[in-house]
Amino acid sequence: MSEALMTLDGVRREFNTRRGRICAVDDLSFRLDPGDILCLVGESGSGKTTVARMAAGLLAPTSGVVRFEGRDLKGMPKDEFKTYRRAVQLVHQDPYASLNPVHTIGDTLRAPLEHHRLARGRRAATARAAELLDQVDMTPPENFLGKYPHQLSGGQRQRVSIARALALNPRLIIADEAVSMVDVSIRVSLLNTMLKLRNELGVTFLFITHDLAVVKYFGWEGKVGVMYVGKLVEYGRTPQVIGAPLHPYTRALSAAIPEADPDVTRAKQKLQLRSIEIPNLLQLPSGCVFHPRCPYAEPGLCDVVAPALEDVGEGRDVACHVVARDRRGKVAAA
Amino acid sequence: MPHVGLDQPPARAAPGADGGEPAILSVEDLWVEYQTPAGWMQAVRGASLEVRAGEAVALIGESGSGKSTMGFALLRLLVRTARVSRGRVRFRTGEGRVVDLLGLNAGQLRRFRWQECAMVFQAAQNSLNPVQRVGDHFKETARAHGRKDDRKTRERALELLRLVQLDPDRVYSSFPHELSGGMRQRVSIALSLLLEPQMIILDEPTTALDILTQRMIIDVIRALRQRISFTMLFISHDLSLAAELADRVATMYAGQIVEIGPVRDVFYHPKHPYTVGLLNAVPPIVGDQFTPLTAIPGAPPNLLAIPPGCPFHPRCPYATEICTREMPPLFQVGPDHGAACHHHDKVDRNDQPAWERAS
Repeated sequence: MSEALMTLDGVRREFNTRRGRICAVDDLSFRLDPGDILCLVGESGSGKTTVARMAAGLLAPTSGVVRFEGRDLKGMPKDEFKTYRRAVQLVHQDPYASLNPVHTIGDTLRAPLEHHRLARGRRAATARAAELLDQVDMTPPENFLGKYPHQLSGGQRQRVSIARALALNPRLIIADEAVSMVDVSIRVSLLNTMLKLRNELGVTFLFITHDLAVVKYFGWEGKVGVMYVGKLVEYGRTPQVIGAPLHPYTRALSAAIPEADPDVTRAKQKLQLRSIEIPNLLQLPSGCVFHPRCPYAEPGLCDVVAPALEDVGEGRDVACHVVARDRRGKVAAA
Repeated sequence: MPHVGLDQPPARAAPGADGGEPAILSVEDLWVEYQTPAGWMQAVRGASLEVRAGEAVALIGESGSGKSTMGFALLRLLVRTARVSRGRVRFRTGEGRVVDLLGLNAGQLRRFRWQECAMVFQAAQNSLNPVQRVGDHFKETARAHGRKDDRKTRERALELLRLVQLDPDRVYSSFPHELSGGMRQRVSIALSLLLEPQMIILDEPTTALDILTQRMIIDVIRALRQRISFTMLFISHDLSLAAELADRVATMYAGQIVEIGPVRDVFYHPKHPYTVGLLNAVPPIVGDQFTPLTAIPGAPPNLLAIPPGCPFHPRCPYATEICTREMPPLFQVGPDHGAACHHHDKVDRNDQPAWERAS
């Protein structure tokens, strides 16, 4: 097997809050190979942004190991860490906040090139900046280099954020809710631009979102991990997980999403949960964290033993006692 | 501007456009503008809309389309830097009188809001007072409208809280911060129904809520409409919400209603290219097929520099010379279905090549 670009191995991250210690991410593992798309999907409090920050090296795990090209980030020599930080770029949700309002787009894109000495002289930096704008479909680039962020639309600002991330020829782009604040009519072209970067430049994507529909579109050729209260509850190839979700939480999510089709959405089979409230991170339920909401929860099992993420065949992993038992039963019967 | 106040004798009730239910709310040629350092910016530009008794109308648009401004203008809740520069907004009260909303004085307006038409705001957490218990919100609202019997108010409040699927006794005595976002949103919905208004306006009722919470709110609204009849106008950027809840859908673009019609007609046979573009930009979840999506080229216009003619023409695959000159009227494209497009007869949702050529 070729070397993984990044691996997270049994990663846990705790935070101190005023009311006590909480665990935002618990025993999470995944592997990203070059050119992969991995989407992490979850609701608020699922820990997906904490994962993004740990993968980007902005936050150290409480325990567990984050590796980049086989090397543990912890204790990495300074120059190696610098190379890693260059190879992994984070694109944030809010392009209004992440671009400096007093710098032109040209300045914003030239800064990393000059800082990392990737361009010799201002003219070369400008030429490279124009090339970057072209790559994110902001054409003609000359129209944008002299502009300030406030003169751009939200979608264009997000394109500039992506162009800036590209400036350092990254191996991995971590996009944290990168299209969530962008209007529907512009979202698709932004996703198409990112797909093009993946296909043409071979950039790997860790794509974090709360939107299953976006996962289905962007991550179709990749994998998806579903997170619930700090844990990965389901993992597999996107068409399978979205098309036929197994974990009760994924099934509830998929069934709950309204569709932009009146007949389809009104006829959609809903999965009735026992409670809609997300558990308090300070007092997590015993056993499976989803059991208080789960319609299939079995007393004496699900409220006692936490299910591990288990291979249930076809390259799919699910953390659910009931699903795992059913799949075993099917395999035995066949 | 001639107008009829709440205290004046009844005027004629507006007849229904198609001879069906009469309109409760009728908006004619509404213009709203904001004062900005660069001059007056027109956010709503000649929008007309009728909402009929008992129906649910969705006002759909992206940021800057004018949908929220229009919602606020209807209840006269605009910020001080905004003004209605033209138009008429008439409302048929529960007693069958027609009032001109733009002409109401402060006292009349106070009575009108909550009793005739209530609004549920987008940020539910900010619309409840953090130092007041939920019950006090109900009591205060009732008292402000002359309903002094707290015991009766409490009974009605508990019933409404039960209808929005909350634990009534616990929530009634809770402070807003003790509730989750979804619970607060349901409290706001229950509160809006306290004085039995004929109509409620909901601004982005599910935005910023988690998926399972959104589903809860949608189901609650649907159940409420089956239990208590009220007319509903909701404002959203989310097409799926309209597909779920609306009887009729109005699409807004650059301050104008560019398409309006029954929900199935608008979704299955859209006749305005912008509606088509929006629909084709939403990825479906159901199905195990990959659906390639086409983007609408360009971006919504700057409201200080709206393109001449049809404001959508720079992004439109169907645009011709006339579109750069003349704003199309709302053409009748089907029963109760209108689209403001010169080329509405050519617009076809399944004509992907047109969009691929354009983008």
